[in-house]
Amino acid sequence: MDPDAVAKAFVEHYYRTFDSNRAGLANLYQEGSMLTFEGAKTQGAQAIAAKISSLPFQQCIHNISTVDCQPSGPAGGMLVFVSGSLQLAGEQHALKFSQMFHLMPTPQGSFYVLNDIFRLNYA
Amino acid sequence: MDKEEKMGVEDQLEMVAKAFVNHYYHLFDTNRAALAPLYHHTSMLSFEGQKIQGAEEIGQKLAQLPFEHCRHFISTIDSQPSPFGGGILVFVSGNLQLQGEEHQLKFSQMFQLIPTQHGSFFVQNDMFRLNYG
Repeated sequence: MDPDAVAKAFVEHYYRTFDSNRAGLANLYQEGSMLTFEGAKTQGAQAIAAKISSLPFQQCIHNISTVDCQPSGPAGGMLVFVSGSLQLAGEQHALKFSQMFHLMPTPQGSFYVLNDIFRLNYA
Repeated sequence: MDKEEKMGVEDQLEMVAKAFVNHYYHLFDTNRAALAPLYHHTSMLSFEGQKIQGAEEIGQKLAQLPFEHCRHFISTIDSQPSPFGGGILVFVSGNLQLQGEEHQLKFSQMFQLIPTQHGSFFVQNDMFRLNYG
């Protein structure tokens, strides 16, 4: 399957899950996964899911502007670089953000998030 | 034990990432032609969606960008180890001032750095995007 198509499909699935069922994101991470969220570091699927679930807003909508991807090396991983905007419920202005994922293949033929780094891009 | 001895692998990694970022943008801003040696023939660059492969082509692309001088101002640097390869993932955001332009451009960039035999790093993956207002 075309890597760009795989990256786009993953990104759509990730943000759709984030925006509708944040707890469901836990399945996309594993024990060795790492998240850096606005500089705060978390490790492991459980801790990462807890961190994301505890973010101080109920609803949000991600609007994706760009998705770039490249293979990361011989292990079959994929680096995905996203930019877009984030609308929080009740806030007037959308926040701009960038995020990078390092996806690794699972035996079942899908991908999990090994590395995840998120940053808001302030004006 | 003093503080330096307690410094873990992660802190070392962060130091490497910061040092690399400072070196990379210093070169970019003062001597773009000198960037090519930071890449290998397997390296990949995505520059505003355009894909380029190999140190030579990447060096050419960067040298041909339509401005003489620019200055990068770095706001954030995040790094994580990249397992299954021993590399480092580096995620940068900041501003870019082009000579003669009134307003700065915001940008994000990510690198995957892979160690060389000589104890330094080369850029295996590089993705750059302007963040429009």
